[in-house]
Amino acid sequence: MIPIKYNYRSILIRRMGTAMTAIGIGITVAIVVVMLAMIHGLDMTFVESGDNLHLVVIREGSLNEVNSYFERPAYDAIRFLEGIRRDSEDEPMVVGELTIGLNVIRKSGSESNVIIRGTAPMGIALRPGFKLLEGKMFQDGLREVLVTRSISERFQGMALGDTLIVYDQPFKIVGLFEVPDGVYDSEIWCGYNDLAQVSTRPIFSSLLLLAETEEVARNLIDRIEDDERIQLNAFTQKAYFAEQTTSSIGLKALAVFVAVVMGIGSCFAIMNMMYGSVMARQQEVATLRALGFRRGSILLSFLLESGLMGLIGGVAGCAIGLLFNGYSAGTSNLSSFSEVVFNFKVTPEIILQGLAFSLLMGLIGGFLPARRASSVKLIDVLRQ
Amino acid sequence: MKFLRLLVKNLTRNKRRSILTISSIAVSLFLVATLETLMTELKNPPETPDSALRLICRHKVSLFNALPKAHEDKIRAIEGVEAVSGQLWFGGVYKDPANFFANFTVVVDEFFKVYPDLQLTDAEKEEFLADRTGAIVGNALADRFGWKRGDIITLQGTLWPVDAELKIRGIYSGGSDLGTSLYLHWDYLNELMNDFGMVGTISVRARSADDVPRVAAAIDEIFRNSSSPTKTETEKAFVLSFVSMLGDVQLLITSIVSVVTFAIILVAANTMAMSIRERVREIGVLKALGFRARQVMFLLVGEALMLSLTGALLGAFAARLLYSSINMAAITAGFIQRFYVTPGTLLLCAGIGLMTGLISSAVPAWQASRLPVVDALRRVV
Repeated sequence: MIPIKYNYRSILIRRMGTAMTAIGIGITVAIVVVMLAMIHGLDMTFVESGDNLHLVVIREGSLNEVNSYFERPAYDAIRFLEGIRRDSEDEPMVVGELTIGLNVIRKSGSESNVIIRGTAPMGIALRPGFKLLEGKMFQDGLREVLVTRSISERFQGMALGDTLIVYDQPFKIVGLFEVPDGVYDSEIWCGYNDLAQVSTRPIFSSLLLLAETEEVARNLIDRIEDDERIQLNAFTQKAYFAEQTTSSIGLKALAVFVAVVMGIGSCFAIMNMMYGSVMARQQEVATLRALGFRRGSILLSFLLESGLMGLIGGVAGCAIGLLFNGYSAGTSNLSSFSEVVFNFKVTPEIILQGLAFSLLMGLIGGFLPARRASSVKLIDVLRQ
Repeated sequence: MKFLRLLVKNLTRNKRRSILTISSIAVSLFLVATLETLMTELKNPPETPDSALRLICRHKVSLFNALPKAHEDKIRAIEGVEAVSGQLWFGGVYKDPANFFANFTVVVDEFFKVYPDLQLTDAEKEEFLADRTGAIVGNALADRFGWKRGDIITLQGTLWPVDAELKIRGIYSGGSDLGTSLYLHWDYLNELMNDFGMVGTISVRARSADDVPRVAAAIDEIFRNSSSPTKTETEKAFVLSFVSMLGDVQLLITSIVSVVTFAIILVAANTMAMSIRERVREIGVLKALGFRARQVMFLLVGEALMLSLTGALLGAFAARLLYSSINMAAITAGFIQRFYVTPGTLLLCAGIGLMTGLISSAVPAWQASRLPVVDALRRVV
């Protein structure tokens, strides 16, 4: 085995060349890491939005709250079902909500839809992550709304104190809130009655309820779906949001495409670099062979070197990728066609994937040159 | 041109390096060409002369809100309006949600007047108009599922609590959706929904391009104070609003393109510097033979340009060839309908190739050309 010292000294000698190639690989890895972080952040927004104890009830056949509608009798039928947890005042923890997509303009000028949710104090209680950040709670009847901080930062006219026009009626923004890391973090909330009145739609889009245990939740789902009169579907909150990760499919395809193509390009670059290195070191290799090192050791040594070069680039790339951690962006939830704000998330797994990718590129790119090095004909080279 | 011969000879001396350099540039520019094409397609939805005369009218609050079909009559009365046809997204599923395609219910009375760019035979049109349970499908869609005229298909209702059993009365080609949608009768759904009388959008055909802005404003004015106020825009603007919903994706793509370009230049510069360093002696010989410093520099830069331009054009044209032979609409279920690498994109790639060649070789070539002959010849590489 040729000592590793040989490899890293060789790398140090050809500093410029190694650095440039490593930067090239680093850029590839950075792009892949950032894209993976974006996709992960987007998916996590849906996955972390719910648990298995909360149930979302929507109309049969609908895939999303926004497309669903049903009337009061269905709500009444469900409200007193057994198994729904009761709060400290012995009220069943169920809320009927109305969700409507509102067409609004981003600060960047482009259009999008944001969900406005007409709810009740029970709806706030049913969302344990809810936190009022600034201002005060809305009062149903006074046409007041709360806006999430992320929406307030991304859209025009949504600062605390601004007036929002909903169905041509003015609604005052009285507070900023957050429900971290979830789909609810991209919404506008107001009183159900206010919204039902201005939209002239006294119906419900969905119900949210809290079951006592997971098993009870499953039973409730069956009870609700079996009831022919009301024609509703129930999902655990977790399942409901998991369905919506289709929004990232296009991005995933793009990420794979970019990673593969750039990976191939980087392999060629490494190959080029290593061939140059190998050709220049023919005398060194011949000397090593004369000293008694075997072909296999030489092959391994060069493979190690190109792998190392790849890793150096990978580390640099991951470091750049980390700079994007927590970066906030928004796109369309393709299931409801409304805005979903998410944060780029660089996880240890993603870093490992990035490093593995860079190592792979180094090894694949370095293989042919390494073989060339190991097949050097002693006599020819020493004679030169 | 002897200069050119020398250039080519130099490049073929180390074939492997030349090929690898060209390959890595080609691959990177293939990516750039693809991303640029994606951006171009997103920003420029397919248009026909007929689509330029079409306006889409929707509820002012958002696309999700329905409009009363009765709005059609008031719109028809506006000066400059030739034909009106309400539409409502049906959103039916054919066998599996993964088989997604666009399906709309349409008010058929003036449908073909608003959409003359849908090409099908008069017989097909008449059959469709006469059969309330009939449907017309796009040719790309028909190919995808192997449908033929006369087939009966079922669409499961997801949005609406009803399933639709439809007979295919015609297969159309063309249209701004490039044959990827299905249209059924609005009356059919209306009846199943107990005469609810609502549509999602109303498509309007204006008499001429000049009438378009005036008609849009007139429509919105009529309904401004009604219980269903409207927002009317050209079909192109309407389609683009969907793209704008994707938000930061455009920023992402532009960033990737810039960064990739930077990486290519870096890698090419590395190769260039490496090869020039190795040829120091040879450059010394050239100068000893009488080549001037400037000529040597041009020679080296010329080689770099040839490599990078070849790589760039190879990658760009490979993209063009590939994408003209696959059916993007089928692969992306109609989300992307057309994927045509424009001459503009090809030019951009050539430009990047040019820039790469120049920037990557400038400094090493200049330095090498200034080396005193004696030092160059003395150098042991």
